Amino acid sequence: MSESVLKTEKLTKIFTMGKRKISALSGVNLQVNKGEFIAIMGPSGSGKTTLLNVLGCLDTPTDGMMTLNGIDVTKLSEKKLYSIRRNEIGFIFQTFNLFPYLNARENVELPMECTKKSKSERGKRSRELLEMVGLSGREEHRPHRLSAGEQQRVAIARALANNPAIVLADEPTGNLDTENKHEIVRLLGRLNINQGTTIIMVTHDSQIASHTERILFLSDGKITKEKQGLHLVKKKLMCPYCGSRIQLSDARCPSCKKRL
Amino acid sequence: MGALTRAVRNVSRRKMRALLVVIALGFSMAIMISIPAGIIANQESTQSMTENFSNTMSNMQEEINKTATLIECQTSSGRGMRSGMPSGAPSGMPPSGFTQEEVFVNETVVEEIRSIEGVKDIVPFLEKSSNETTSETINGPSGRTFTINRPLYTITGLPLNSSFIDNYSVLPTNITTGRNLREGDSGVILMSSNLTEYFRVVIGDKVKINGESFTLVGVYDSPNQGRMETRTAYMNLSDAQTVTGQTGNVSRLDVYAENVSSVDGIADVIEAAYSELYVTTYKDRLTNLENMQEMYTQTLTNAESTLDQTQTVATQEIGIAVVATSLIVFFVMLYTVRERTKEIGTFKAIGFSNWNVMSQFMLEGVLMSVMAGIIGIAIGYIAAPIFSSLLLPHINLFGGSSRTRFQPTFGSANPESLTSGAAATLNPQLILLAFGAALLLGAIGSLYPAWRAAKIKPAEAMRYE
Repeated sequence: MSESVLKTEKLTKIFTMGKRKISALSGVNLQVNKGEFIAIMGPSGSGKTTLLNVLGCLDTPTDGMMTLNGIDVTKLSEKKLYSIRRNEIGFIFQTFNLFPYLNARENVELPMECTKKSKSERGKRSRELLEMVGLSGREEHRPHRLSAGEQQRVAIARALANNPAIVLADEPTGNLDTENKHEIVRLLGRLNINQGTTIIMVTHDSQIASHTERILFLSDGKITKEKQGLHLVKKKLMCPYCGSRIQLSDARCPSCKKRL
Repeated sequence: MGALTRAVRNVSRRKMRALLVVIALGFSMAIMISIPAGIIANQESTQSMTENFSNTMSNMQEEINKTATLIECQTSSGRGMRSGMPSGAPSGMPPSGFTQEEVFVNETVVEEIRSIEGVKDIVPFLEKSSNETTSETINGPSGRTFTINRPLYTITGLPLNSSFIDNYSVLPTNITTGRNLREGDSGVILMSSNLTEYFRVVIGDKVKINGESFTLVGVYDSPNQGRMETRTAYMNLSDAQTVTGQTGNVSRLDVYAENVSSVDGIADVIEAAYSELYVTTYKDRLTNLENMQEMYTQTLTNAESTLDQTQTVATQEIGIAVVATSLIVFFVMLYTVRERTKEIGTFKAIGFSNWNVMSQFMLEGVLMSVMAGIIGIAIGYIAAPIFSSLLLPHINLFGGSSRTRFQPTFGSANPESLTSGAAATLNPQLILLAFGAALLLGAIGSLYPAWRAAKIKPAEAMRYE
């Protein structure tokens, strides 16, 4: 069956603030299979971002087990963690976090800098990625000359630069207007279907979350509920609303006209 | 797209800030290199001063040795007028007799002195300043100038007797055009080159002085007397007496003794008999030389102690500049790191190692400081003399205005060259040193901020607003 990319068991994270101990994650059990598109939802302070940071090896769990591609990352040295972050994980942020002094191509090339890829390979790869996210011809533009939606596309291309095992997106649509929100989540969906990219997306927007195939509800540091999203149906090229055949590029269902 | 390009773009992202920081650092660096430049210049000038002094001393010693039997007898007007000889009293006297009333004695004194036992020869001179005067500006120490009035020229008359001319150095020797005066010359004149310019005459021309006409037969190169040029016209004694209206008068007698042992006796007799004559002997001149030597030594000691003092001050100032430079880099980089915490988080999230982050920030610090180094070298190149004169104690050789009091009156020791303000200039080694210092201080100053940046935890950095 499906191969597990990420697996956590009783993942716990406790923040110590002076004498107070705040439990951000209290035993998260999670399994993510290769090629899955998952949303994590939950109210503010439920531990969404903490979970994503721990999953992305930006933070270490206080307790529990976590494997990425079968490797127990909780026991890795700092040095190994750079390499994991560089090669196995792609990050997408709410505020895009592009480097303002670098153009789109250079931003995408940045994660490849510490790899063995040659300069021309990096250039080729970044151009491909920018084309994939629909930004051909904008390679030499700096972030301030790109719209918010375009900036997030550059950030997505950057996250994919080193072909990561998993892409972690922290509220990727949080800073975008409605039109761009859907554009971005559809882009993520397309990448998931076409490239088989495994994506975990944190959001508090249920409409956005419904575009994924599995929605996990996080409350007080625990996964309390799980729900299927519409994406699973879409993967089979069926309209999730009326069941008629659709094309992946369709923005609306040809028969029921609902937004896909 | 390397770390260096990123550093360049980052520094240029905030142009105004970078510019201000680089200028501030640049000045600091300029000070750092101007001071050693000043020190080197001071050392060089002290050294050349020492050399000049010792040259002067040996020249004088030689001159004195040559004239061991010479007893100089001068009226007040003659004192200090001769070049190539130490002047009467070494201190307290103006450089030349021009401020004094000129006194003459009747030449009958020549025969009287000749009758003293042991006297071999007497060469009488008449030295008289012209009535015309000039106003001259002299550059003194540290930009001060003095304006003095002095006679335009001096007429020196002496008996043109071939035995005097051959045996004693009574006439200038450095003839540039024409010929020297010789026995039997009358109605002719020998003048210093600068006087020919004034009179606008060439060899063979007639020169009119006080209504009398003379033919110019020779021109000699005028030695510098202290900081002023000598302008003297030589002629036959009787011509001089006529033209100056001092018929039968002289102002100076060079008395030559038969031998060295009789010098003191003769000098005593002359001194006792003629109160209007100032007598100087070999011994006096030696004493003068010793006094001078003492003064020179004192001056050198002063110069050296000032130089020591200067070096102490310089070390402190360089230290301050070094600390200031590293502190500027330190604070600017610390601020930059704080400001870019989120960016650091992003760097780490996309897989940059601590070392990658640290080197990125160090590179930026070094880049700024190297830019500042270049600006500093440019500033230093232009303003090193200003900086070093502002920041270093002045080497004051003769103590205040006393410089004018001390006038060695011989060519080799032009006081101008002894004490001319040390002009600080940058040499290639200093420029290289400045560049090295810029690199090093940039690295030192940004070390801690960069380390802090590297140590930031990515998850915390991402939360930072």
